[in-house]
Amino acid sequence: MASHESQMPSQENSDQDDSDVDDDNFDYYGEDQFEVAMYENRDDRPAGTSYRNADADPIDPEYFEYSCLQICDVERLLNECVEALCHAIPVTPALAKVLLHNHKWDVASLIRRYKLNCHLLLVETHIKPPKPVAPSSTGQRFTSCPVCVRSNLAYSELRGLACGDQFCRSCWVMHCASQLAQGASTAIECMEAKCSLLCPEDFVLKLLGDRPDLRAKYQHFVFQDHVKSHPELRFCPGADCPTVIRSKSLQAKRAVCKTCSTSFCFRCGIDYHAPTACATIKRWMIKCADDSETANYISAHTKDCPNCHACIEKNGGCNHMQCAKCKHHFCWMCFGDWKTHGSEYYECSRYKENPTVAQEAVHVKARRALEKYLHYYERFENHSKSLKLEEELRGKIKQKIDDKVNNHQGTWIDWQYLHDAATLLTKCRYTLQYTYPYAYYMEPGPRKELFEYQQAQLEKEIEELSWKVERAETTDRGDLENQMNVAEKKRLTLLQDFFDK
Amino acid sequence: MSNIAFQRLQREFKEVITNAEIAQTGIRLDTSDDTLTKLKGEIKGPPDSPYEGGTFKLDIIIPDNYPFHPPKVSFETKIWHPNISSQTGTICLDILKDQWAASLTLRTVLLSVQSLLAAPEPSDPQDAVVAKQCLTHPQMFTETARLWAQVCADAPGERNSQLYKKLTQLMDMGVGKESALSALSCNSWDVSKATEHLFS
Repeated sequence: MASHESQMPSQENSDQDDSDVDDDNFDYYGEDQFEVAMYENRDDRPAGTSYRNADADPIDPEYFEYSCLQICDVERLLNECVEALCHAIPVTPALAKVLLHNHKWDVASLIRRYKLNCHLLLVETHIKPPKPVAPSSTGQRFTSCPVCVRSNLAYSELRGLACGDQFCRSCWVMHCASQLAQGASTAIECMEAKCSLLCPEDFVLKLLGDRPDLRAKYQHFVFQDHVKSHPELRFCPGADCPTVIRSKSLQAKRAVCKTCSTSFCFRCGIDYHAPTACATIKRWMIKCADDSETANYISAHTKDCPNCHACIEKNGGCNHMQCAKCKHHFCWMCFGDWKTHGSEYYECSRYKENPTVAQEAVHVKARRALEKYLHYYERFENHSKSLKLEEELRGKIKQKIDDKVNNHQGTWIDWQYLHDAATLLTKCRYTLQYTYPYAYYMEPGPRKELFEYQQAQLEKEIEELSWKVERAETTDRGDLENQMNVAEKKRLTLLQDFFDK
Repeated sequence: MSNIAFQRLQREFKEVITNAEIAQTGIRLDTSDDTLTKLKGEIKGPPDSPYEGGTFKLDIIIPDNYPFHPPKVSFETKIWHPNISSQTGTICLDILKDQWAASLTLRTVLLSVQSLLAAPEPSDPQDAVVAKQCLTHPQMFTETARLWAQVCADAPGERNSQLYKKLTQLMDMGVGKESALSALSCNSWDVSKATEHLFS
């Protein structure tokens, strides 16, 4: 079995029967590879619902290995890195943290770079100044602080980093407090202008010794910064959720928080959005936030100036328009120049079979762009609304099952297929919703045609499924489960072909 | 205002007023009230720049947690410069933002603003109109900036007669000196465009 570990799973699996894949899964990879991987619903997976096999199947395009960590687990993980680095190279734990934080927690590469040129590494990480500092004498030089300009300070009052710049303790404390107020922690620098040495953790904590409030705030911020700089860790985006998700690969896959059940894209942290890519969905969301409210109004109430294409809202009865921007005079009805309009004005009331589209070309183009956007946006929104309604339906179904079980009409297991059907419906419709931003940004061509064909197929099966779930009591169980299989197959086919992880 | 801030400012005042070297560079600092929170600065336009010889007034607001936060500095005198807003006088300078350090002083800030006048950075603009002109029509930029300095900051030297004629033309219509300058400069010294801009 061990020899199979490094092979691509898709090759092997294609010959195997679905049920085999499920059973062989563990042996196939070797158990140690999974570590703390979480299987969505693996334990409570009911027998006889074959569509769920996909969840644990490595060829599933949505398959994603990750684990949910609590704060203490994360601290242990980070401390292990710090210890490993301190053992390998002669640095204090605080400096090791600065190094790790600025080099993506890659212990091996840090050790390599340290052995190659330790001076360069320490300078680049802002731990050592680029030029050696003249040894400080205990003379007059250090008796005043350049920030608060107090003189005659005791030498023991002064503090400083490796750069040799010395400031009094109370100025350092105020500097740290003001940096903390701006959200800086690992990024607190020396107070000297043009000196960018970073203050290590032990230096700051010693300064804040008698300020427990600031100490706690500092430690909290440092922890946050460390998690954010670690390539395998992500904070759960759920409100006030302290969980950290860990995955060895940075992919745009769905992660579900064990604590608060928030489901999100591991790469970008917003709502999961397969098959659309992270960058695309971001563009789409910005476009929607900017446009959707106004786009509807614009398309209903305005036209574009035929000369400069400024958007014009008609607020009076007269059809003789003057564009406020370019001062062009035109007719609201036919978009012709008002000057040549003259006696022909009443032509506008007559319906023309073949209107001269040429002069409207740009105007038509702008409108068409808006229409295209609205086409995709309306569908995206519509599925989002359907999802909410079907969420209610799922609640009702759960209630109905409870009633039946309480009235001794079978057990939970007998009726669970209804609940599974509603759950699957949500999952499919969710993917369908996110196919619309994907299609909006696709270039026209055979690939788009294929995509839209698959999208149409998926949509048809989902509506069929939705119809059957809403009428679940009168639908035959076999029929319903068949429909579930078909819909999930269509969903997986689309993702396999178009989801770039 | 905190004790540290007050001590610091008192010392800085002394430094700016007494130092002979500073008097030579043409930097001044004045208080406008007793609390030292609102200050007035003044810098001379640096030599070999279109601002040469001009006197530029600056508004300085000292935050409560000075010197741990940077002072807020803006131009009171109108100026045509890619890193300074021609409308509001806001300055885009790194040491007034993220590169501020507690050991910097008002003296170093004023000197930095002065050197910004000598070395504009149109690639990192505050005023996009000025920056575009600076990059595409450097000659026109220099002439415009010099005329602004002459009209608004009393810079010496002979005024560009061609541009000044256009300015007086607008001022004769009853437009204020500064808005006429601004309208003309933003419209590449096209009088009819500037008029339309002002009256529409």
